[in-house]
Amino acid sequence: MNLWIGVQIGIKEIWAHKFRSFLTMLGVILGVASLQSMFALTAGIAKGMRENLEAVGGVERIGVEDKEVSEELLHIAEISPGITLDDAVAIRESASLISHISPEVNSGVRLQAGSVKSGARMEGIMPDFLVVDNHTVEHGRFITDLDVLRGERVAVLGHTLASQLFPGVPHSEVVGRTFAANQRAFTVVGILGLYESEREKRQRELLEQQRAKSGRSDEGRIEQHRRRRGTFARKNWSLLAPISTVQMEFKSVNMVGDVDQGPDKTLSNLQLRVRDVENFDEALAQVTTVLNHTHRGIDDFGFETREDWFDRINQSVASTRLSGGIIAAISLVVGGIGIANIMLASITERIREIGIRRAIGAKSRDIFLQIIVESVVTATIGGILGLFASAGMIHVLILLAPSENTPILEPMAMLISFSCAILIGIIAGLYPAFKASSLDPIQALRYE
Amino acid sequence: MALIELRDLCKRYVIGGQEIMALNHIDLDVDAGELSAIIGPSGSGKSTLMHLLGCLDTPSSGSIKIDGTELSKASGDQLAEMRNRKIGFVFQSFNLLPRLNVVQNVELPMIYAAYSAKERRQRAEAAIERVGLESRMHNRPMQLSGGQCQRVAIARAIVNDPRIIFADEPTGNLDSTTGASILELFHELSDQGRTIMLVTHDPEIAAITPRCIEIKDGNIRRDYRNDQKTSTAAASP
Repeated sequence: MNLWIGVQIGIKEIWAHKFRSFLTMLGVILGVASLQSMFALTAGIAKGMRENLEAVGGVERIGVEDKEVSEELLHIAEISPGITLDDAVAIRESASLISHISPEVNSGVRLQAGSVKSGARMEGIMPDFLVVDNHTVEHGRFITDLDVLRGERVAVLGHTLASQLFPGVPHSEVVGRTFAANQRAFTVVGILGLYESEREKRQRELLEQQRAKSGRSDEGRIEQHRRRRGTFARKNWSLLAPISTVQMEFKSVNMVGDVDQGPDKTLSNLQLRVRDVENFDEALAQVTTVLNHTHRGIDDFGFETREDWFDRINQSVASTRLSGGIIAAISLVVGGIGIANIMLASITERIREIGIRRAIGAKSRDIFLQIIVESVVTATIGGILGLFASAGMIHVLILLAPSENTPILEPMAMLISFSCAILIGIIAGLYPAFKASSLDPIQALRYE
Repeated sequence: MALIELRDLCKRYVIGGQEIMALNHIDLDVDAGELSAIIGPSGSGKSTLMHLLGCLDTPSSGSIKIDGTELSKASGDQLAEMRNRKIGFVFQSFNLLPRLNVVQNVELPMIYAAYSAKERRQRAEAAIERVGLESRMHNRPMQLSGGQCQRVAIARAIVNDPRIIFADEPTGNLDSTTGASILELFHELSDQGRTIMLVTHDPEIAAITPRCIEIKDGNIRRDYRNDQKTSTAAASP
């Protein structure tokens, strides 16, 4: 007997007992659906977590930050200049495993553009900031080395800030306009892209759809939505200027006692980007060596890295996947037991048929094959229905609760859940098939 | 050489610790083309004999040769293949599969042999025409009369063109007129050169078959030909 005839017989048998077969399949349907949903949920959680990680610059980013000086060095802590622009220069010169260095000097400023007044934190930066902080320029250009060298009064605005400062003006036209920061005129040279998480994107789209439906301009609500603090609020409100400009314009005086020390070289922030994550620890060691030198041996600096964070994400995804997988596997196994149970009942019902088939020439392996195929066909149909069910479930979930952890249907996960269903079908069919194939033909023929 | 050769054939069963000799040292030859009846009361061992001849079972001792193949030590698969290729069964209770229609029932033996779907259909239709049921091709067994069911079973038995057809009480569930027409069909098949063995307890059937083998208590009591009325002695007392 070939396989195709076996499949046909199996389908006929399932069709002959539609309701019973459906109940049998239900276990597999639910098992596959839960396995599939579990995969989608964990994939969604993993994606949400990675998105957050990306939002703060990815794994490659290292933040250099102040740290408590250890007790034995406390009495000479003053000899360290702290984290300054010199550190950035030294790292650029001697830490070869670092690809980008982004020092920052921040200053709170009052803004005025036409009649609009506002306050913001001006970040004095260098061109590497673009890469380290993951920015994209939508209009105009970014801060260049020349801007830094000449201390130009130019600024790059975040998407939301640009809209607020120049209401109603298209962003392409905002480039070239001027505004005042603490009464000093700055020219806008670039506008950054709008950053939003998946969830914010969906909410915005929903809002725009509603607006399109109602037909009335609801600029106010969209604006209100933009103001809302999202995952990327800091980036969307950024006000970037060359680091030298901020130092010269807002931090030019640094009094120690009665003596002016010139522009304050202290950095508000120093961010680095590792060339290759593989060499993360070596890169960190290089930077430590450099900073030990510039800080004159005082350990007043520490590193903020995302490696632990990254590991935590992988760990929590793995453990969620494991526990979810076990629960889903249990329901799939229950589905398999259901199939095995029905197959056992079904062969008892069909002992005479098995006897007839044996009498007219079916070998015991033909009977074995027939029962196994029937079980696998049941599981396969259940698996397919389960995939559809899970797709529907996930769709409903996405509609009901848009969040950054939106479940994601992955083809690989579908393949795995589907193969699990088929595997369950084979295993569930083994014992009934063995039992049916080992029936004695004469006994089976006599069975009433 | 005889088509069927039994030599010193024994079949023992152990039931409740007691050994029962179902067939006791039987010798028998059946030639190709013979139409014979195996007759005996219930418990005589005629069913056991038919199961052995029909390759459904293997003997406890002795030799059984069908069409030159020794079957006393055959494996389950070999027996299944013999049943499929060389033997056709007709049962008292028809034993058709209720969910399949007439053609599908007749096709059944061929799905265990290597035939293409087209070939299966052609052979099944030819066999159904042979038993005169071409108008009922797509009916289910439930929609047929007993005699028609038995004709379907006969079509199924001849579809693989076997060397021997065994019929176990083929008229047992039929009224006498229908039974007679079924017996008539067996005679026709026999006239076409098929070897047929009818197992029955009905002396009337035995009386009209050319050869009659009478079994009692596991022995062949009488083996005679109706036309010549010559009887041979039983193999053992």
